[in-house]
Amino acid sequence: MTSIGTGYDLSNSVFSPDGRNFQVEYAMKAVENGGTSIGIKCKDGVVLAVEKIINSKLLVPGKNKRIQTVDRHIGVVYSGLLPDGRHFVNRARDEAQSFKSIYKNSISVPHLMDRLGIYVQNYTCYNSVRPFGIVSIVGGIDDNGPHLYMIEPSGSCWGYSGAATGKGRQLAKSELEKLNYEELEIKEAVKLAAKIIHLAHEDNKDKDYELEISWVSKEFTKGRHEFVPDDLLEEAKKFAEEDDDEEEEEEEEGDEMQE
Amino acid sequence: MNGIKVDINHLKKGEVNLGTSIMAVKFQDGVILGADSRTTTGSYIANRVTDKLTQIHDTIYCCRSGSAADTQAVADMVKYYLQIYAAQLPPNETPTTEIAANVFQEICYNNKDNLTAGIICAGYDKKNGGSVYSIPIGGSIHKQDYAIAGSGSTFIYGWCNENFKQGMQKDECVDFIKTALSEAIKWDGSSGGVIRMVILTEKGVERLIFYPDEYQK
Amino acid sequence: MAGLNFENYQRNSYLSTKGFATPRATSTGTTIVGCKFPGGVVIAADTRATSGPIVADKNCEKLHRLAPKIWCAGAGTAADTEMVTQLIASNLELHALSQNREPRVITALTMLKQHLFKYQGHLGAYLICAGVDPTGAHLLSVQAHGSTDIGKYQSLGSGSLAAMAVLETNFREDLTKEEAIKLCADAIEAGIWNDLGSGSNVDVCVMEVGKDAELYRNYLTPNVRSQKARSYKFAPGTTAILRESVRDILDVEETVVSFDQMEVDTEA
Repeated sequence: MTSIGTGYDLSNSVFSPDGRNFQVEYAMKAVENGGTSIGIKCKDGVVLAVEKIINSKLLVPGKNKRIQTVDRHIGVVYSGLLPDGRHFVNRARDEAQSFKSIYKNSISVPHLMDRLGIYVQNYTCYNSVRPFGIVSIVGGIDDNGPHLYMIEPSGSCWGYSGAATGKGRQLAKSELEKLNYEELEIKEAVKLAAKIIHLAHEDNKDKDYELEISWVSKEFTKGRHEFVPDDLLEEAKKFAEEDDDEEEEEEEEGDEMQE
Repeated sequence: MNGIKVDINHLKKGEVNLGTSIMAVKFQDGVILGADSRTTTGSYIANRVTDKLTQIHDTIYCCRSGSAADTQAVADMVKYYLQIYAAQLPPNETPTTEIAANVFQEICYNNKDNLTAGIICAGYDKKNGGSVYSIPIGGSIHKQDYAIAGSGSTFIYGWCNENFKQGMQKDECVDFIKTALSEAIKWDGSSGGVIRMVILTEKGVERLIFYPDEYQK
Repeated sequence: MAGLNFENYQRNSYLSTKGFATPRATSTGTTIVGCKFPGGVVIAADTRATSGPIVADKNCEKLHRLAPKIWCAGAGTAADTEMVTQLIASNLELHALSQNREPRVITALTMLKQHLFKYQGHLGAYLICAGVDPTGAHLLSVQAHGSTDIGKYQSLGSGSLAAMAVLETNFREDLTKEEAIKLCADAIEAGIWNDLGSGSNVDVCVMEVGKDAELYRNYLTPNVRSQKARSYKFAPGTTAILRESVRDILDVEETVVSFDQMEVDTEA
């Protein structure tokens, strides 16, 4: 950490001499330790998935949802400081509602991302605030089809075919790069999402996790953002785990290739 | 005598009024708007060649009736809203007529106590083709196949209802509007002058003008 | 709203029985016109200012400068036309300075209409706004409530009907500059002769593309006071003195009294 002791990392609104904002970079550190979140945009919809680390056996399975809905057609998942994420989603909902109150139409995903990008960026400009400790993946369907975006603490925001963040992001990204997004159908994508989260959990095996998957699809959810039905979730979980044996073998091969 | 209630404050003293005949009609390739050109202050014709068809965006127009000042101010506001909205749209995309009409409705409803504005918003967009929205005085909104408004429209409700056809050809639709407006002008003292039309299609905007010696036959 | 409406007849007869007579029309008393010609635009105004039935000023100026090449003629409440015109002229100059461009007529018009609309007609300014800018020559008008009109020729004010009659008969698209000036002056004269609220002289302003604006103050003076046939001066002493009483002027003396410095106890 070159920044420590220099003083350039203490305030938000100050650049270091080589043009970096350390507070923003520290915010990314908060994200890197959170549970893995991914998003997949396929030809007929968007899938969001998250690896929910179980911190206590007393937590009720199936409660404490991590994926949230912004508007009927848009969902968000994020890794990092969870309360920051809830504040971010609140703002996203406000933006979607304010748009609707003027134009009587749902906001388009790119337009919402424009607004949220500006909002998040604002938290990097003043020393009375700190940047968001989250990276959010936002997915939805509008008149122009499916969209998937990822937004970082700096406020930068890009459109993706497949996006991953959190602890297992490197592994997830390399898996996502293998997919053919032109051909991919949403039911297949749900299974793959489960599998990628499962793989990404490998490095963190000492802790248990719960899988949460949501989707937006014209065909299956009438363009609405919903959690996948229980039977599909079970099927996806089974798909993710039944490959375990093969995967281990493959993994060994993979490891060898890396070396 | 107790029973009489006259709304003497309906128009402020000396206010310029668009006692008007306006309409907009969907047809095969898009939509056509039509209007007379008379603007009055009391019994004086303040302008005999007014343009009541106002551009809101590339292929979205509105017909204005009521107070000239109010409708111009509202149209200017909507135009501004849509410029900002369009700037945030992806390249090569334009706002839909529905969006424009909803903004009109929002402004007309929120300021209903201070406005005398009856507006027809019509336009062409790639998503919906031609569409027509009527926003009458209270600030409600009505999606229609065709809309008529203004003081002269009362005389042509029946005729329009009888003669409107779905999916007309362009020439047929121009004739429909020309005949309807010439009747409205004939019977309404507050309407007159030339008939202006704007044709909105995929190809863009086309303007037409008809002089009294033609449309009066 | 359509057709003839007799509701007010009942109301008016009811009101007159209660002692409220039908209000008399009050004239704002002005004739102003404007007319375009290829390559430029002309505006003109009469110079009578009235307050009720009294001629308040026989040679007032109703042509206002918004910018060097944008002028406007004002009818309605004199104070309002003057102040609103000065305000917009000021803002227009600041705008032109900040944008580093010559101001446009449409900009002036938009500023005027938004200001007037804000005041909902309580500012009684009716203006014909004309000028040349980088986009050409323009002729526009604004009414007190904030509505605007575009036209090749326009008239406003109580004499506008007389002026419009002249404009409607003599306007052509291909007027020369001189013909356009004559047409405007004729239209104003029609107002001067036929409208009680208008009178005195004709002011004209010509704005041509690529040239400086020209103001012709008192372009026509059809109402010069003629020499009286006789002198009506009376010799001193014509009026007889019946009684004389002289009183002393009361002297008021003012002196400045100074006091010594007040004693203040600063110990406490």
